[in-house]
Amino acid sequence: MPDPTASAIATELLYLECRCLDDRDWATWLELYDAHAVYWVPAWRDEDTQTSDPDTEISQIYHDSRRGLEERVMRVQSGKSVTALPLPRTTHFVSNIEAAFESDDLIAARASWMALIYNPRTERQHSNFGRYELRLQKVGQRWLIARKTIRLQNDLIPALIDFYTL
Amino acid sequence: MEAASLVDDRPEAGVFRVHRTAFTDPQVFELEMARIFEATWVFVALESEIEQAHDFLTRQIGRQPVILTRDGTGALRGFLNSCRHKGTLLCPFRAGNRKFHTCPYHGWVYDSAGHNVGITDRADGHYPPAFDDDSHDLAPVARIDSYRGFLFASLSANVPSLDEHLGEARKLLDLVADQAPDGLEYIPGEASYTYDGNWKLQFENGLDAYHFATTHAAFVDIVRQRPRAGPPPQAPGPIIAGTISTARGHAMSWSVGAPGQGPDSRPLVRDARLLELARERVGAARLDWMLRQRNLTIFPNLQIIDIQSLQLRTWQPLAVDRTRMSSHCLAPRGESPQARRFRIRQYEEFFNTGGLATSDDNVMYALNQDGFAAHAAGDTQGYSRGMATPAAPPEPFTPLGLTDARCNYSPAGLAFGDETAIHVGYREWRRLLQAG
Repeated sequence: MPDPTASAIATELLYLECRCLDDRDWATWLELYDAHAVYWVPAWRDEDTQTSDPDTEISQIYHDSRRGLEERVMRVQSGKSVTALPLPRTTHFVSNIEAAFESDDLIAARASWMALIYNPRTERQHSNFGRYELRLQKVGQRWLIARKTIRLQNDLIPALIDFYTL
Repeated sequence: MEAASLVDDRPEAGVFRVHRTAFTDPQVFELEMARIFEATWVFVALESEIEQAHDFLTRQIGRQPVILTRDGTGALRGFLNSCRHKGTLLCPFRAGNRKFHTCPYHGWVYDSAGHNVGITDRADGHYPPAFDDDSHDLAPVARIDSYRGFLFASLSANVPSLDEHLGEARKLLDLVADQAPDGLEYIPGEASYTYDGNWKLQFENGLDAYHFATTHAAFVDIVRQRPRAGPPPQAPGPIIAGTISTARGHAMSWSVGAPGQGPDSRPLVRDARLLELARERVGAARLDWMLRQRNLTIFPNLQIIDIQSLQLRTWQPLAVDRTRMSSHCLAPRGESPQARRFRIRQYEEFFNTGGLATSDDNVMYALNQDGFAAHAAGDTQGYSRGMATPAAPPEPFTPLGLTDARCNYSPAGLAFGDETAIHVGYREWRRLLQAG
């Protein structure tokens, strides 16, 4: 059952994540994730179904700890990956947020998302869109992302996807 | 426009050049579609994708939609995916299993062998006798054949046998197929993407070891800074790198001994049973080649990259400056769960567009394409490395059993960055464009 308190917590966290990504405040963004967070972008198996087991099927992205996200930030900030030279500008949107408590310190949430991405070199833009599925864990006084599944509907990918375009 | 003039091939003078126009001229692109992609053998699928009677797949060959099927007898068939009635795309699905394909427009029906088995309200149609002078069956793809599970097709009947087309490159494909005693399969999960550049940029890059250290410098740094679990890596032996070039444009870039790229980084080595079966099948000397880093190109549209994971990629040129890629993680059937998981993670990290390396290549191709517009700068200088390499000693290549191939080799290791393996592709490119 969707719960207003859980939805308010999830909304606040999702809005904050969008803001961090679009402002390129990646240190704060990483702090939204639990150290053991799972970050998963499943692939499409066929026209209608997505891969469901990262150990036996391909994912677009699969990390089973925040370390994988830290490496992505490192790569973008290194000045050595042409994917970030120049770095595209992004605007993220979330809506249709539904959330419920699974226990006092665990929330399950889902939301629709869209990211608009503009490349200042090529002067072209692209949109990515889909659904987020989240598990939020209360650690001390803070709610952290323990698991984020990013379902990407338009999976014919123009050159790349990365944490800031999803 | 004379296609031959776009390739300046004078090895005796130390000159090999490809004119920028080959990458930027829409007329060249149209010629490539008609005379290469729609006129020679192209890779279309893995046979294990279409294994059961009535299985089907849809693909593009050049600009043309095709449907590949297994008919009721288990024979492989290929047809233009276009109803004979009004030309409608007959099958809109990527894959499936159907005994019959019914055109959504007026309901003409075809069986999995391509035979027309139903023309809606035929008796009431007052057809003229001439109507039955035409076949109503699906138009066949001229040639379809497979080599060790790799399925190729040609829209032109004017091609040699697939065996002859692949030639010596069959022995390089064997290094992949022999890893899989029960056959190769794709691990489920689609990965298709586009880049804003000419298809030949992917063709060249798959044979280009020279770009790795710079283009993927961020990836290399990330791997280096990771805390290591388990024993320290083996002391690297001498690093040797080289290329093998064969007839009809097929070529392979390879290396051995680079730190972090030894056998312990290979999924095959993580499965003791499959490793032992491979050793029994091919012997220690060929197994050594199987465990080298190998980037194989089968001209014009297939690359198999056997490094820290095993990738099969193929491409569909969309325009002179735009290419659609399709990437798969290849694996031996019956692999252990641990090795499979390792293979998947290694594949995702390197080869995915959401990974840490291929995305660099894709953006680099767009920089290439945009840079090619500088026609006033004249010819590029990207085909000369390795042209003056001393003759390679034959011994290292003996296990491959090659009888007609050019083998290049250098103890300079990864810095060698040989560019000559790209030459054979352009010789085949020019031959096909001239053959018209």
